Amino acid sequence: MRKRHNVEADVAIIGGGTAGLNSAMAAAEAGCSVLVVDKANIVRSGAIAGGIDHFFAYMDTGEPWDTREAYLGWAGRVARGAADLEVQEAVYCDELKAALERVERIGVSLRQPDGKVFRTAALGQPGPYAINFDGKLLKPKMAMEVKRRKCKVVNRVQVTKLYLHDGHFAGLTGFNIRNGDFYRIRAKAIVIATGNTNRMFNAQVGNPFNLWYCPANTGDLHRAAFDAGVALANMEYVRMTIVPKGFSAPGFNAFFGMGAQLVNSLGEPFVQNYHEMGNKAPRNWVVWGALQELKAGRGPIYMDCRHLKAKELEHLFFTLGIDKDTLPEFFRARGYAKDGAMIEMTVSEPMQARPSELCGSGIRIDKTCASNVPGIFAAGDASDQMGCLHMATAGGFAAGKHAAAYAKKRVSLLPLDSKAAEEEEDRVFRPLGRKAGISYREFETIVRAVCTDHFGPVKTEVSLKAALDKLGRLDAARGDLRADNMHELMRTHEAMNIHAVSKISATAALERRESRFIPYHYRADYPQTDDANYCGLVVIQEQPDGGITTRLDKLRYAA
Amino acid sequence: MPAVIDAKKCNGCKLCDLYCPLDVIHMEGKLAVVRYPEECWHCGACRQECARGAISFTFPWAMLAA
Repeated sequence: MRKRHNVEADVAIIGGGTAGLNSAMAAAEAGCSVLVVDKANIVRSGAIAGGIDHFFAYMDTGEPWDTREAYLGWAGRVARGAADLEVQEAVYCDELKAALERVERIGVSLRQPDGKVFRTAALGQPGPYAINFDGKLLKPKMAMEVKRRKCKVVNRVQVTKLYLHDGHFAGLTGFNIRNGDFYRIRAKAIVIATGNTNRMFNAQVGNPFNLWYCPANTGDLHRAAFDAGVALANMEYVRMTIVPKGFSAPGFNAFFGMGAQLVNSLGEPFVQNYHEMGNKAPRNWVVWGALQELKAGRGPIYMDCRHLKAKELEHLFFTLGIDKDTLPEFFRARGYAKDGAMIEMTVSEPMQARPSELCGSGIRIDKTCASNVPGIFAAGDASDQMGCLHMATAGGFAAGKHAAAYAKKRVSLLPLDSKAAEEEEDRVFRPLGRKAGISYREFETIVRAVCTDHFGPVKTEVSLKAALDKLGRLDAARGDLRADNMHELMRTHEAMNIHAVSKISATAALERRESRFIPYHYRADYPQTDDANYCGLVVIQEQPDGGITTRLDKLRYAA
Repeated sequence: MPAVIDAKKCNGCKLCDLYCPLDVIHMEGKLAVVRYPEECWHCGACRQECARGAISFTFPWAMLAA
């Protein structure tokens, strides 16, 4: 029997990953009552559920590259047109020192066993910004800290709708994915921190859950926020990386640190043919090079480890296991723990996500992490300006602070529209009552086929319009979706959210008549980058009349 | 099968069920069971939480042979 729960808080945080938990810490520190809602369990949810091994930071050590200015210069170069540097300064730079101290205070050392900070460079960095550390327990420790600060946590609840009152945020509803309990939650402010959208494109060996990023991140709140009139930005980008063949797992940069390099099937290093920085180029260029080699028939591509002994590779695999727990045994099972291994690599599945480590893709935020709707804030990958552990940690905290400040100015909670909530409750559980119909698996497979065929990643005006036509026709199938149990009901809503986000992404991509961060936004009909007209954010929004509008927010950078 | 639970070692503590970020592991009576193996992300959270060492990983052929 399903129960109904009414819950109130000053600040509600949706998504208990890195960004959400840091938001919760900040809002609690500011004296607010805080409620964290997560689809899984905050101890092990989100992108770093199994671990993390690097944190990007400048540390003012006296080196010319190790300053705020140099970092922002890097951001302006490699995330040009997507990173709003004024927002970055506020959400990252101003918060960085405290963020590093916070990570260590909650019990995760950013140092090596000898007490020293070890940093490496990659992805176009002017110097070694990546602090290498053992973050295996970072997620559970953040969860403990949030509980220590007396935040209330509701696990296993999927949020499906946001409610406004007179244009201000009023509350949200969601359901427990195991027992179907329905939650009506009122809060003065909300921080959305639910990550990016995965499972939108075909994955390398066919399984849509064998992904680089967390397959539970399905754009749930991108969609719910968009429906509530929240503006989104950077939605046109389709992110990819280089992963081992067979397993979409992170970590290719660690190989470069050991002197390995990417080669084609002729044994030739190739990335420098596409970017002067070669293997250490920004990620999109490494992916672009790999795609070109594969397309030209010079695949498979390999991580050339011919100079490494089995013992050295074992050590490297152990290190990679900090970030992806099962990767070491995968490499062993593939037979790579031997002298001089050639490790086959490939290009990962595309995803709706940020085009660079230095920005996000989602809710358009200002310097206070606020969206265009009063009371709705965003952090981490769910926002248009934050990405990666460093920004989720620093910017997540900033979002919590600003949401708390907003909540404190509100005298009382706003009413949550009862009729709308009842209608939503009916809508949410409807797939459970259907005796026949389409499964989420079949529905999602169609979405993935369309997205992969038409903008995964190369796109043109014709392909995007074809995608929107097909995805639009699929609207009719939403009413036929059938779920046989609560797990399937959760997946069914995820599938509908992936579908909704795919349409938003294709619509935004149509508006950017240029190419940027190739192949993340590669328009075959406009293959050049056009800074004069498109150096900025494509902002997409649903208007009160139901119409979808786009605009370009231009961004300026130092020369 | 990705995560594999050794029924002889499982003591029914429920931690893997509680913490699996993909809702893949469910308790069936006093045993934890990998109910949706095809939806495993191979993140290893369950194994890290298991005090009994009951969880190992077996990679499907598609991951090993493709």
